[in-house]
Amino acid sequence: MTESTVTVRAFFERARAGQLTGIRCGSCGELAMPPKELCPNCHARAWETVTLAGEGTIASFTVIRVAPRAHAADVPYAVAVVRLKEGVSILGRVVDIPLDKLAVGLPVRFRPLVTHDQTSVGFGPP
Amino acid sequence: MRRVAVIGVGVTKFGLHDRTSAELFAEAARDALTDAGVPASAVQALYYGNVVGGETEHQLHTGPQAASVLGIPSVPTTRFETACASSHAAFRHAVMEIGAGVSDVILVGGAERVLNVSTAESTEYFAYASDAVWEQPLGLTFPGVFALIARAHMEKYGTTEAQMAAVAVKNHRHGALNPKAQFQKQITIDQVLKSAYVADPLKLFDCCPFSDGGAAVVLASEEVARRHRKPVWVLASAAASDWMLLGDKHDLARVPATERAAAAAYRQAGLGPADVDVVELHDCFTIAEIVATEGLGLFEAGAGGRAAEEGRTSLGGEIPVNPSGGLKAKGHPIGATGAAQIAEIVTQLRGEAGPRQVDGARKGLTHTLGGNTATVLVSLFGRD
Repeated sequence: MTESTVTVRAFFERARAGQLTGIRCGSCGELAMPPKELCPNCHARAWETVTLAGEGTIASFTVIRVAPRAHAADVPYAVAVVRLKEGVSILGRVVDIPLDKLAVGLPVRFRPLVTHDQTSVGFGPP
Repeated sequence: MRRVAVIGVGVTKFGLHDRTSAELFAEAARDALTDAGVPASAVQALYYGNVVGGETEHQLHTGPQAASVLGIPSVPTTRFETACASSHAAFRHAVMEIGAGVSDVILVGGAERVLNVSTAESTEYFAYASDAVWEQPLGLTFPGVFALIARAHMEKYGTTEAQMAAVAVKNHRHGALNPKAQFQKQITIDQVLKSAYVADPLKLFDCCPFSDGGAAVVLASEEVARRHRKPVWVLASAAASDWMLLGDKHDLARVPATERAAAAAYRQAGLGPADVDVVELHDCFTIAEIVATEGLGLFEAGAGGRAAEEGRTSLGGEIPVNPSGGLKAKGHPIGATGAAQIAEIVTQLRGEAGPRQVDGARKGLTHTLGGNTATVLVSLFGRD
């Protein structure tokens, strides 16, 4: 039997400690993040946990000015799809970068955003 | 597969209503049955789209509830939920059921009510169609999803905010010809460009409105449809899915599910994009129309913005897109949208669209997209 994949809970526990976690398929080498049960490339289940560097560039971004109720106090805020240097992408909040400095291709670095008992994915200056 | 036709259509006015979604559906369904010329007793199944009934109306189990309010409580009923593509998914299911010989007459439709809650609430509920673990906690909104797509399209192809504005202006011009549309007023490029940003680079006038409304269509087997004055044949109905998470989509400037559903539909029908005379597609945001015209093969990848700006998708242009006004001007009651698009294409192919009629339209296409582009349905229609 293969190892279990990284659970959502485990991902965010590691994220809270500053680490972005991916999984690499032991069968075909595909890198995935967030965790998936089967490899989307070869459908094997032979994952190995890998720690990602957390460095990447903005692939696309937006500044949200009309927010859902839970985020109304945060507007305006930026979210971006960030392409990590290992080749996978993930959505995150962008913090500590002026909104008018945001650009596709801008280098950013992962940082956990911790509020109360919740951790979410954030990116700030490298 | 047996041939399947649409023999009846009904759509409520879209906009603010003081009726429940089930009541709105029932009005549309009554009109569709009258249009079809079949009694309610002939209906063998109801497939129904409704998305946020649980949130805005505290109502689940909306399929049988809608059937009960209509007055056909004993037909088998299922609610479909594929975000904004729900009633198109219901439609495809009905096409397959009639095609397979299981039923002869099926009622398909959908309805939504959201204007009874605040914009902040509906913004939250629509965001539920994004991932609850990886996206919603970041404050991602539905306009935010398409803003990310818009930015990627602008970067990759040089698409401009003015080109996106041209889509809004065109669809409002069409909507002004549609008495059922939520907005029946023309707007200018300047008004769009000067409207407030909702999620950069999308502005208020790049976005479709929140809407209440219902829509219904009656589907029939060929044997039943032959008795109808103007059956419109379903030439294809195809679905495709894609990654749920934006981070997993390899190229945000494209919608692979549109490309896959379109390819499957064209193959089923033995047609290509050049054969289509009129299109109703999912313009929840102006950029969504641009990307859809490319994904459906009407224009090359990256050429959709320029095509809109040049008027090629206007009534009177080479391929009229969204003569109804689209989601942008007609409105977008999400559970009803797929059925409402089909109703428009059927009306066009019958030659009964009045001032917004596409002259001589013989083949039509509908395209409906679910939420974060993870669901797309494409259907093709033709008249005798």
